[in-house]
Amino acid sequence: MINKFFYKVLFFLLISFISNEVYSAEGGPCKDYGECDKFKYSLNDFESLQRGASAFINYCYGCHSLKYSRWGRVAKDLKIPEDIFFENLVFDKSIKAGDLMIGAMPSNSANWFGVMPPDLTLVSRYKGDDWIYSYLRAYYEDSSKQYGVNNLVYPGTAMPNVLMSLQGNQKLVCKNIPVKAENGGEKRDEYGITITNEKCGFLEVEQGTGTLTREEFDNLIYDITNFLVYVGEPSKATRERIGWYVVFYFLIFTAVSSLLYREYHKDYLKK
Amino acid sequence: MTQIAGKLFTWLNARLPIVNTFERHLSKHPVPSKVNFWYLFGALASVVLIIQIVSGIWLIMPYSNTEEQAFSSVEYIMRDVDYGWVIRYIHTTGASLFFAVIYLHMFRGLLYGSYQKPKELVWVFGCTIYLAMMAEGFLGYVLPYGQMSYWGAQVIISLFGAIPYIGESLELWVRGDYYISGITISRFFALHVVALPLVLIALVFLHLVALHEVGAGNPEGVDIEAHLDDDGVPLDSVPFFPYKVLNALVGIGVFMTVFSVIMFFFPEGGGYFIEMANFQEANPLVTPEHIAPVWYYAPFYTMLRAVPDPLGGLIVMGSAVAIFFVVPWLDRSKVASIRYKGLYSKIALTMFGVSFITLGYLGTVGVTEIRKTMSVICTIIYFAYFLLMPIYTKYETTKVVPQRL
Ligand code: HEM
Repeated sequence: MINKFFYKVLFFLLISFISNEVYSAEGGPCKDYGECDKFKYSLNDFESLQRGASAFINYCYGCHSLKYSRWGRVAKDLKIPEDIFFENLVFDKSIKAGDLMIGAMPSNSANWFGVMPPDLTLVSRYKGDDWIYSYLRAYYEDSSKQYGVNNLVYPGTAMPNVLMSLQGNQKLVCKNIPVKAENGGEKRDEYGITITNEKCGFLEVEQGTGTLTREEFDNLIYDITNFLVYVGEPSKATRERIGWYVVFYFLIFTAVSSLLYREYHKDYLKK
Repeated sequence: MTQIAGKLFTWLNARLPIVNTFERHLSKHPVPSKVNFWYLFGALASVVLIIQIVSGIWLIMPYSNTEEQAFSSVEYIMRDVDYGWVIRYIHTTGASLFFAVIYLHMFRGLLYGSYQKPKELVWVFGCTIYLAMMAEGFLGYVLPYGQMSYWGAQVIISLFGAIPYIGESLELWVRGDYYISGITISRFFALHVVALPLVLIALVFLHLVALHEVGAGNPEGVDIEAHLDDDGVPLDSVPFFPYKVLNALVGIGVFMTVFSVIMFFFPEGGGYFIEMANFQEANPLVTPEHIAPVWYYAPFYTMLRAVPDPLGGLIVMGSAVAIFFVVPWLDRSKVASIRYKGLYSKIALTMFGVSFITLGYLGTVGVTEIRKTMSVICTIIYFAYFLLMPIYTKYETTKVVPQRL
């Protein structure tokens, strides 16, 4: 009786801690952005990974290295034929397949941004993919800053919005938001007009300033983030694939050993 | 062929106590016929210990114990070494599950009074193992030299500095340098891969020898030695081999399934098994936003933080571990198992379990006023469980323990 009670208390506490962790208001990792947007990687979508790699090398690799990763490995894992890869994505022709992606920045001129752009091999592991996906989409115009932009996810970031020409000029705007009524619908005044409240802090791209639509841009950021998830742990896809076999093996192992155990158990009960 | 093998075996057995040992410790070693799943964790702990040693040996080969290369050599293992990631995840998952298994193993001890006479020494060896494990885990966590390795070590090593008079020189002596450096890494490496594993293996050996000398317990707290058959074998016992071995095999199967689910699908354990900040190389100039220990130290870390004075915190934290050693002499009950103990013991153990888990939770999150109060309350409950034990175990009404299992 008491034992059962004990287990119940423990279970309840565990559950409440876990959910408490999710909802705790410690100022989430995405700061002014609020909740980070959820990101679901797809490491078997090679086209996405290839687009991500290409975008990364074109737009990011000029400043950020991927120094634990090797050129040839990326080509192989992403199923890009090596000659095409080296022809189109490796600009320094002295680089060989086994070389590490140590970056294109001369190390002595690193202080252009006030800080050295960090290596990004493991950024998906210490910041998380949700964070990256939100961060790259949360730039907005702010003339008080060095590069004329600021970021909701990372206020005061030293990185300029390198994808501005694609995204366009994103601004913080205010909107009139319908007030929620008690029944869950929109609250209206006595003339049937929706009551609104002005709220600010919404991101909106100025029409016609970027070459990509919002959706295309989001897809691009998806691909880049997906690529960074891959680079953070190149064996991740393999891991999740062979994991099933290992788990399956141990389930069989458990089944067989419990049958064996039962068989022996029978014979000592007889005695 | 079989004849030669037979001869060889006879030759060996005349020179090595093979059959004797096998019979004494396995095929004729009597163990209680009825135990529950709580009694599987000792076997599981042995399995994880072996897993850690074997995977550890493989990790040593490509790992580099220098300040410049420690972090990148771990990434080298994760990327360039064939199946290096498998070995590393085995070791990180094993570390967390080792503690999980040991906590359950220890809790079983408290639940069924496994520390009571004549198993005091088994328990004391166990507590020493736990102490050695805490040191082993801490030293290992420093080796990948990520941000949490560095700052965790910073916090723990500076604890030595809180000791009066000798503190500062002790701190310097442990660190081997004025700040954490390559010297610290290479000495921690030596301790983690050689010194403490030797200590652990020796202690586990003693733990098991002592246990086989006095005989294993059971959840009823029945003394099976009291009823023997004509050969002097307890009536309520079965031979360890094959019955208990097969039983353990089922447990191992379940455990390995859980192990591989974590290892292949959640190796970071949501940031509790491998902390996210540890994927960033150690940087003495940047303090992480909040320094949290890995989950298995969290309860003790909370107690450390619950006391405002560093020396006081150190004493409280040290006592929290040390107090386990004297449990056999704090329990004054006539019965061993919680099933026959009285209401006070049941309440006390429940409160203890709940406060321990709460302390663990509090150690992994930031500090707020409410949480601070909670950690003080839980620390008090934690100690009250032990310190009041002589009283509540003595003055409660217990049930009568049956004669037979
Ligand atoms: C590497 C760590 C350890 C290993 C490999 C280990 C192994 C074992 C094994 C195989 C058993 C017999 C099976 C069982 O009852 O579960 C056992 C029993 C026991 N262990 Fe451990 N143990 C370890 C750590 C500890 C610790 C940390 C404690 C307590 C602080 C402890 C206390 C006990 C006690 C009291 C028993 C006797 C239980 C009984 O027979 O009623 N052990 N241990």
